[in-house]
Amino acid sequence: MKRKGWFQVLRPLSPRARLAFGTLSFVLPIVIWCIVSYVPAVWHPQMLITDPGSIDYLQVGMRMNKAAFAEAVAEAESEHKDPPKGVSSNPIYLPAPHEVATALYTAFVTPSPTKDSPWLHQSLWHSMQVIFWGFVISSIFGVPLGILCGTYAAFARLNEPFIEFFRYLPAPAFGALAVAILGIYDGPKITIIVIGTFFQQVLIIANTTRKLDGGLVEAALTLGTKKLALLTRVVIPGILPDLYRDQRILLGWAWTYLIVAELIGTTSGITWFITQQARYQHFANVYAAIMMIGFIGLGTDMVLALIGRRLFPWDRTLTKNA
Amino acid sequence: MSRKTAIGAILGLFLWSATGAQPSQAAGLTIGYSDWPGWVAWQVAIDKGWLKEAGLDVSFQWFDYSASMDAFAAGKIDGNLMTNGDTLVTGAGGGKGVMIMLTDYSNGNDMIVGKPGIKSIKDLKGKKIGIEVGLVEHLLLLEGLKKNGMSQKDVTLVNSKTNETPQVLGSGQVDAIGAWQPVSGQAMKALPGSRPVYTSAQAPGLIYDVLAVNPTKLAAHKDEWIKLIKVWDRVVHYINDPKTQPDALKIMSARVGLTPEAYKPLLKGTHLIDVAEGKKVFKKGPGLNSLYGSSKIADDFNVDNAVYKQHQDIESYIDPSLTAAVK
Repeated sequence: MKRKGWFQVLRPLSPRARLAFGTLSFVLPIVIWCIVSYVPAVWHPQMLITDPGSIDYLQVGMRMNKAAFAEAVAEAESEHKDPPKGVSSNPIYLPAPHEVATALYTAFVTPSPTKDSPWLHQSLWHSMQVIFWGFVISSIFGVPLGILCGTYAAFARLNEPFIEFFRYLPAPAFGALAVAILGIYDGPKITIIVIGTFFQQVLIIANTTRKLDGGLVEAALTLGTKKLALLTRVVIPGILPDLYRDQRILLGWAWTYLIVAELIGTTSGITWFITQQARYQHFANVYAAIMMIGFIGLGTDMVLALIGRRLFPWDRTLTKNA
Repeated sequence: MSRKTAIGAILGLFLWSATGAQPSQAAGLTIGYSDWPGWVAWQVAIDKGWLKEAGLDVSFQWFDYSASMDAFAAGKIDGNLMTNGDTLVTGAGGGKGVMIMLTDYSNGNDMIVGKPGIKSIKDLKGKKIGIEVGLVEHLLLLEGLKKNGMSQKDVTLVNSKTNETPQVLGSGQVDAIGAWQPVSGQAMKALPGSRPVYTSAQAPGLIYDVLAVNPTKLAAHKDEWIKLIKVWDRVVHYINDPKTQPDALKIMSARVGLTPEAYKPLLKGTHLIDVAEGKKVFKKGPGLNSLYGSSKIADDFNVDNAVYKQHQDIESYIDPSLTAAVK
C-alpha cells in the first residue's frame, strides 16, 4: 500500500491498513496509560508511604502530595528522628494496567462473597437482561412509530413535537416514580432504559425513513402500487439496512443508561459491583468492571455488524467504512 | 446462512436469554438494607440461616440508601433500615414508618474532620465547613457547636455531597468537612495530618438507626416482627462475642467487598443495641439516651432546615411494644 493512499477522501483502506489502524486505536491509549503508570518521571504527583518513620499520623499505604511529604521528612530530620519513607506514585484513582488486569481476572474467579449474592458473571448476565428487555420493549413501539412518522407527515406532526419535548427529560428523574408504580426489582430499571431509548429511537428512525430515495416511491406509484403495499413492499424493505444500523447505535445508547437504571430499586447487576468498589476506592476493580461493559458492548456490536452483512448483502455502506 | 436462518438465530438467542429474566417476587416480608455496619450486621442472620430457623419468611433486599427510602415511601418494601431522623423525613413525605426496634447508634463513625492545624471545634470559628446541609452530619456539627458555646452563625457552611467531601477537604477550600465512614476515613487518609475534631462518640444517641416498618404490615404481622427482633438479639451477641466476632466480621466485610481487617474499625464506630438495651432506649425521656428525645431533636432540626414544614407527632412514629414483648 502506498503511503499517500491512507488519506484519500471517502476511499476504503486496504485490508492490511484497516487492521493496522484498528489495532492502533486500542494500542495507543494503552501505551499512554503504561507510560503514565510505569515511568516515575511522568506525573506521579504523590508519595506512597512504605514506612511512616516517626510521623505518628502516617500509615503504610497512605498517599500524600510530594510537597507535604517533603515537609514531613524535613520535620522529622530537624528533630533527628526517623524520616518517613515512600515511593513515587499516582493518585489512587489511576491504577496501573497490570493492577486492572489482575482485578479483571480475580473478579471472575472469586466466588460470590455471601451465600445469596451472585457471582460476577451472574451479575453481568442480569445487567444484560435488563438492557435486552429495555431495548426490546422500546423497539416494539419505537420502530413502527418511527417508520409511520417518517412515512406519513400527519403522523409526524401528531407525535414528533411532543417527543421532541419529552426526549429532553432526563430518564433518571423518573426513578422514584418508576419504583412507586413498578416495584423494586427489574420493572423500574427496564422502564428507565425504555424512557432513555424510546424517544430518540422514534426520531432517528423517522429521519432514516425520510431519507429513502424518492425515486423508489415514484417508480412504485407509476407501477400502480396500492397505498399499504407502498409501505410494506417499498418503504420498509428500502430502509431495512439503515434501520438495522440505527438499531445497533441505539442499543449502545441503551447501555449508557444501565448504571443509573440499576441504582433504582434494589441495587443489582454490574452496578452493584461498580458502586460498592468505588465507595471503598478500589479503583482497579472499577476500571475492570467498566472494561467488561466495553467488551460486551463492542463484542455485541461486532456480531451484529457481521449478521447485518449477511442479511443485507446489497448494502455497501456496511462494508465500506465500518 | 440464509436470511431466514439468521433472523431465526437472533430470535432464538433473544428468547433463550428471556427465560429467567424476571426475578421471583418474595412472598413474605421484604426489608431494605444498605451499606452501614449496623445494617450489614443482618447479613450474619441471613448467611447463618437464622431467619429460616426462626420460621421467618423475610427477604432482605440490598439498596443504595436513598433508593431504599424511595422504595419504602412508595410502599414497595415492608420495612427499611434507616436513621430515626430519616424515618421522620420519609414519613413527612407520606411514607409513614413505625420504628419497632433499634439496631445501633453511631459511636464515632460520623465525624467532623478538620484539616491539619485545626485541633478542636473552637478552632472552627469563622471558618468554612463542607457539609451536606440537612443531613445527619449537619445535625452533628450543630450539636458540637452548641456544646462549645457556639452556633451555626459562627461558621460558614459550604454545601457539599458527603461522598465528595474527601476531595473538598483536599482542595484546601474549606477548613473542615462532615462525613460518615467510610467517607470520613478516606478524607483523613487523603489529607494526612487532618483529624476528627468532633465525632458521634461525643454525642451518642444523636443518630439512632432503626428498623421502621409499614404501619399496615406492622399490625398484620406482629408475631413475625417480634421473632425478627429476637433474631437481632442473637446477631448482636454473635458479633460482640470475641470468640465469634472474626466469623461475623468475615460475613459482614464480604457483603460490602472489604477485608475483615479493613472492616473492623467501621464496626468499632458503631454501637450495636441488643434487646435489653433497646428496651431502655425506648423509654420516654428528653435526652439523647431516649429514642423519643433523639427524635425530637431530629424533628426540630428538620423543621429549622426546611427539610419539611410541619412538626411530626413523634409518638406515632414509635412503637416500643414489640421490643418489650421479647423476653
